[in-house]
Amino acid sequence: MPEQCGRTFGEALLSGYLDGTLVQGDEQRVRLHLEDCESCRTLVDGLAAVKETIMTSTFDMPPDNEWSEGPSTGSSRVARGVGWPLVIGWAVLVCGYAVWEGWQESENLVERLILVGGVSGLGLLFLGVLLDRLKAMKTDPYREVQK
Amino acid sequence: MVESPGLATFAGDAGGSDQELVDQALAGRREATETLAQRHRQAAYLLALQLLGNRDDAMDVAQEAMLRFFASLGTFDRERRVQPWLFTIVRNQVRDLWRRRQRRPGDGLSEAGEALTRQLVDLTANPEADLRRRELKQRVWRALAALPAAKREIIVLRDFHDLSYSDIAQVLDIPIGTVMSRLHGARQQLRAQLQAGGRHA
Repeated sequence: MPEQCGRTFGEALLSGYLDGTLVQGDEQRVRLHLEDCESCRTLVDGLAAVKETIMTSTFDMPPDNEWSEGPSTGSSRVARGVGWPLVIGWAVLVCGYAVWEGWQESENLVERLILVGGVSGLGLLFLGVLLDRLKAMKTDPYREVQK
Repeated sequence: MVESPGLATFAGDAGGSDQELVDQALAGRREATETLAQRHRQAAYLLALQLLGNRDDAMDVAQEAMLRFFASLGTFDRERRVQPWLFTIVRNQVRDLWRRRQRRPGDGLSEAGEALTRQLVDLTANPEADLRRRELKQRVWRALAALPAAKREIIVLRDFHDLSYSDIAQVLDIPIGTVMSRLHGARQQLRAQLQAGGRHA
């Protein structure tokens, strides 16, 4: 914008004028200036053309089925939150009881090693999966999505 | 397909103001939640697309923003409008994505500009006018994608999403008094970029 155009207001008011957001006094000042100043008029016309191009742009939208997810309800979150500790507690109790019974009934060292080794292996695998799931929960953006 | 600024409603909108729907959603009415989601998710997607330039990333960001929007419904200030609040979440999600990928907002802009222009569609039946208009729109959106993020977002919020200056101030977390000057600076830079592009073309 040439400085010699004689404008007595901040250039940003031209954008305010374009957007129709100026108070009456400023709007009048800008309008009167634009009547006399060709360079400011050219600038406003150019900005208006770009604004109109942006305003009338149309974009392809994703189909509705991509939006089929909704937020899961509070009750489902509570049920899930209570359900997992119950399942884990049940698994620990049942496995612990089975190991105890097996230990009591086995008569030699090999049987006891097979029992403890098998249950420990299964327990470690379960723990590994559980830790992975807990870690993923912290970063999974879809954890609250209900399909 | 959505044309700005016709984002306020969707086919099958049951009506009611956003504030009424927020109250109903908080009271546990599932239909109110669905209506709010359907009314605003397209705008959330478009803003994410215009800031990121990538359709898949925009969809991920918009989905996550909608989930956070509903998760924080209880703290929503009823005096405010829903859309600026949702846009604030979208903008934060976009910035988080850039941070996670350790990218600056300006990285990969030429690809983003190309990807964004591929999502543009025309609705008129005049092929010749369509071609000219499409080329102009492609030039403008490519130039927009090449602007610094702060300038791109203020133009998109005002000129595409038709947000008021006070809504823009809320989304960008800046004083309302600086919106006009920042917007004008951004428009000037966009215009200069288009003129430079026109000379090189």
